[in-house]
This record gives sequence, C-alpha cells and structure tokens, in this order.
Amino acid sequence: MTWLIVTREVREFYRDGRFLFGAGLIVVLFITAFLVGFEQRKNVLSERKVAQQLDYDDWVNQPERHPHDAAHQGMHVFKPVPPLSFIDPGITSYVGSTQWLKAHRQTEVKFRPAQDATGLQRFGSLTPAWVIQVLGPLLIIVLGFNSFSGEREQGTLRQLISLGVPSWKLLGGKALALFFGALLLVVPLLFFSFWIVSSDILVGGRHDVLIRLGFLVLGYLVYLGIFIFVALAVSALTATSRTSLIVLLIFWIVGTTLVPRVLIDVARMVYPAPNQVEFSAQLNEDLQKEYSKAWQEHFGTGDRWGSNVPLSRWGEALRVDDLAGYDAIDRHFGALWDRYDDQERLQELFGIVFPMLSVRSYSMVMAATDFSHHRDFAVSAERHRRLMQNLISNDLVEHADGHGEHHFNYKVDKEFWSNMPQFEYASPNVLFALQRSVSSLAILCASLLISVIFALWSSRKLV
Amino acid sequence: MLKANSLTKNFNSNIALNNVSLSVNQGEIYCLLGANGAGKTTLINHFLGFLKPTSGEVLVNGKCVASNPLDTKRDIAYIPENVMLYGVLTGLENLEYFSALATGRKKPRDVLKKLLADVGLPAEAADRRVATYSKGMRQKVGITIAMAKNAKALLLDEPTSGLDPKAANEFSRLLKTASENGVAVFTTTHDLFHAKETGNRIGIMRNGSLLAEFNSDDVSHADMESIYLKNMKD
Repeated sequence: MTWLIVTREVREFYRDGRFLFGAGLIVVLFITAFLVGFEQRKNVLSERKVAQQLDYDDWVNQPERHPHDAAHQGMHVFKPVPPLSFIDPGITSYVGSTQWLKAHRQTEVKFRPAQDATGLQRFGSLTPAWVIQVLGPLLIIVLGFNSFSGEREQGTLRQLISLGVPSWKLLGGKALALFFGALLLVVPLLFFSFWIVSSDILVGGRHDVLIRLGFLVLGYLVYLGIFIFVALAVSALTATSRTSLIVLLIFWIVGTTLVPRVLIDVARMVYPAPNQVEFSAQLNEDLQKEYSKAWQEHFGTGDRWGSNVPLSRWGEALRVDDLAGYDAIDRHFGALWDRYDDQERLQELFGIVFPMLSVRSYSMVMAATDFSHHRDFAVSAERHRRLMQNLISNDLVEHADGHGEHHFNYKVDKEFWSNMPQFEYASPNVLFALQRSVSSLAILCASLLISVIFALWSSRKLV
Repeated sequence: MLKANSLTKNFNSNIALNNVSLSVNQGEIYCLLGANGAGKTTLINHFLGFLKPTSGEVLVNGKCVASNPLDTKRDIAYIPENVMLYGVLTGLENLEYFSALATGRKKPRDVLKKLLADVGLPAEAADRRVATYSKGMRQKVGITIAMAKNAKALLLDEPTSGLDPKAANEFSRLLKTASENGVAVFTTTHDLFHAKETGNRIGIMRNGSLLAEFNSDDVSHADMESIYLKNMKD
C-alpha cells in the first residue's frame, strides 16, 4: 500500500512540473557548486603545497646569521585543505589558512567569530553544503506543502480515508515520496564525492574520508527528514495549500536566515568573548607578570633585559622568557577557544527547533572545516613554533652565551637551519569528528523524532 | 448491513441529527430524501467514521463504526456528489490506484478497463487524464472504484446531482445491478423521481430528524410527492 502511495506521489510530482523545475534547478546548482568547490580546492591545495615548500626552503637557505634573528623572521605553516572542504568549506574563509611561527609568542589567529557565519552571511557562496542546508528544505517544501492540504482541497483525501487507508500509511507513503526528492540532492553528493575521493585522495586517507562522507550523508538525510515530516504535518493541519505554503516558507526563512543571525548575538551575550584588542592586552599583561616572576626566580631581578643580566646569559634569559610564557599563552588561547565552543554549543541547542543550526555545525565537523579542527591545527602549529624557539634558545645557551660580550657575533649556517624539521600536520581522524559532533547529531535525531511524532499526531486529524 | 440506532449529533447548540434510527439490508436500495441541511451528509459521515456520534451508534455489518473505524471502512464504498480524482492521472490510473488501496492488491489493467467499459466510460477516455473528464465521466470512474472494491455496502451522497438524464439513468441502472448482487445501497438525493424508480425504501429527513419511511412499491409517484411536500412544509 505504501509503495502505491509513493508511486502516485512521485508520478504527480513529475507530471505537474514541480519536480522537473524545482529539483532540476537545484540539482544543476548543486552540481555546479560541487565542481566549482572541487576546482577551488584543487587550486588551493597545490598552491599551499608549493608555498609550504618554498617557505621551508627559505628557512633552510638563510644566510649565516644569529639564530634569534632567524626566530624573528620565523616561518609560515599552511593549514592543509581538508578533502571534504569542497562540500562544506565551513569557517575556512573566516579564520585563514596560514600561521606565522615567530619568536616570543603565538601569532594571533583572527578572532572574528567566523564560525557563527550564517546562511544570510553566506548567501551567495554557492557550496554543496549551502545548497543542501538552505535549498534542500525549500525543495522539500515545494514538493510537500500540498501533500495533504492539496488532497483536501481537491476532495481526494475524503476518498482515500473512506477506502480505509490508515492515516499513518498515507503519511508514510508521502514521506517516502518526499524522501526520494531529498535523495536527488544526496545521491549526487555521494556519487561525486566517491568519485573525487577515489581519484584524488591518497589511499591512506581514503577510509577516513569515506567514513566522514558516510556520516555527512547520514546527517543530511536526518536534516531533510525533519523538513519532510514538518512539511507533512503542516500540510495536514492547514485548511488550504496556500496557508500551508505560507507557514512553511515562514518557518524556512526564520530557520535558515533570521534565527541563526539572532542567535549569534544571543550566544555572544550569554558567553561574551574578548575582541582582538582586549585579548591581546590581557595576554600581554599576563605574560609580563609571568616573565617578571620567572626573571625574579632565575636572575633575582624583575628588570628584564636590564644591565643586571649580562650578555653571557642572554640565551638563558630568552629561554626563561619562552618557558615562562607557554602556560599563559595556553591558558589565554584555551579560554578563548573554550568560549567559542560554548557559543557554538548554545546555538546547537536551538537546532531542536531550527535544525539548520545543528546540521551546519555537524556538517563542518564532518568536513573537518569547523573550529575544533582549526584549533587542532593552531595547537599543532604552536607546538612547532615552540620547537623552533626551544631549538634556537638552547643553541644560544650552548654556543652563544659562552661568547660573553660578543654574544651577537655568534652565527649559524644551513646545517643548523636544517635541524628544524618541516612542519607536517595530520588532520584529526574521524573519531575526533564523531566526538565533536555527537551533540549536534543527537539534537538532529531528537528533532527528527519530534517532527515524526508531530506529523503522526497531525495525520490523525486529516478529516 | 448499515444501521443507525438512536443517532444524535450536536454541533455545539445545533442539532444536526436527532435520534435517527434506520437500517439498510443487503440487496436493498435506501434513498434518503431531504432539503439541503437536513442532515443527510452528516448521517453518511457517521457511516464513514468521519464524525463521532453525540449519542447513539452506527453499525456497518454489525460492527460499531466508532470503535472499528478501519474495519468498517473495508465493507463500504463511498461515492460523493462530485467524485474527486487525481487530475494528472488517467481514469485507468485513478481506478488502479484507488482500487489497489481499497483491496490491498493491484488488479490487471485489462480487468480494470473492462470494469470502466461496463459502466459506460468510452474506451479512449480510460487513458486520458481525468482533468479533461466531465462530471458524469468522473462519477462513472467513482462507481467503478466502488465496484472494484467489492464492497458490501455503497454510500452515495447525491450522486446524480448535476448529471444529465441519460447519465442519471445509467447510474440508477448500475445501482440496481449492485443491489441485485447483494450490495446494500444507501443514497441521498433530491430527485423524487429517481428515488421512486431506484429505491426499495425511501426515507424523508428534515432538520436532522427522520420524519417518514416507506417502501417505494407502496406509493405512487404522486403520493410520494405529496408525502414529501407535506413533510417539508410542516
């Protein structure tokens, strides 16, 4: 019985033209977004590989110089492009991709809460994720707004109910028909991604990417499922298709543009985070305290770089400074990033009513383009910076401090520069992503369950 | 087969049905006459389980409709004043869909085409979209759906309203055939002539009450008209 209903619904979608125009347009957009995203990823990937190598070559081929001069020049590390970023670039465009590793302190990442970027802000950045998250529900609404109300208007609903068709079977058949509409979006996602992953990703990383892709598709199906049951419930409860369409469009506009925007401000109010200037000032203040304390302990003076510490201890002083600052840096950056996490969690919670908030977060995590993946990269880059810094300070203590007043005559060559390894970053695996996305997936599933119950309850009021 | 026992339905303070009792046996055609708003459609809606009685009960094949809404629907077929079908589907596709939903299995297309031909639907129309059908053609598809369901009882809500005389006669013939096959037919109508010609028993309803009930063979056309007018006037 259910398949009969599905077949008829799909036949009607096809014959009345909605399917061809609506779904056709969205699929064309989707495929375009896919290809554009893939091409961009390919270009950026090759550019970053080249830039990373050039930067390291510059480091290794430095002329003879004092090591601390080189530490000030520093080196750059480039965030690898996650394989699925062509589906969902997430916050990539907002946090940048390059980190400057230089002496004394961690470079500041851009502290714009870019993770909060909404559909409205990104209206125009055509990505497969945007098409599914924003236009996917619209397709479901266009196909499903009159599922019950249309039948009620044309009188066929009474006819169906009088035949003894249980309302839940009618609901199930219509939901499945809409599900096939949703598959139109998800099948190309799977097909193209599988093709790209098979041809473009190194064998070692393929499994991880494929598992991520599987979870991504699962999340999107749950997300679109929510809209399927909401559309059916609204259609069952409203007297006319026009009312049903208006209600659903309002829900769509509010859920995909208005609420995400408002919730950013709400999250910022509930969990305020310092801006770039405030953060820098607070960190500097704390660093100064730590440095002074360390100098007092090591050199018996709080007057840093004063005459009390001779040049014969300059390398040691640098090392004291460096080590004293690590905890403060970790503390400040950690607190700031935790605050961003709190803001994100709060927004995710509202996904129970407006599922785009949850799926946006879930999708970015699975594509490895969310803030937690960025944070992992930043931590890894900072670890590399400390490696460089420690290498240089230790070398100064070992070789330059012995020169006494002629400390700055000490120079090193390519042999020393080569001791610094090239930055190699392995993105976290899928388990990391699953741990990070468990709450958003749970919220999506809860939202789906609520929408199913809502639709079942509504379908009991069909006649 | 169809039975209403002391059926009362109130919509807030409005009494739509007032202590109505009637029954329709197998092979019987019961025509219910009454003006608009008399409560005829409300009564049918109770048999279909679309409304719940305020008091009294409605039975289909001995089963209470309120407590067995799905079971009782399996025994009945419903044809409204305007049979509504899916305009983008052909007559044959509509029949295939509704009959399969009603019986739980698809019938072969040639069997369905024969059923459509039996009710007088032109062969070429079967494969045409229903959006192009006249009301009479849609009614024919409607009765074919009912026949294909092999229902034990037919509920018809002013089925001949708007049909031309030829189509109305054909429709009456189909109802008689159904009753000869043991189907209980309950139909509401404004048409006294067709009620007399088609029905075995006739009821007259006004303001939610069943005022009179008689066998059609016991009265002439003229008697029936005077009984009807008398009840409408009072």
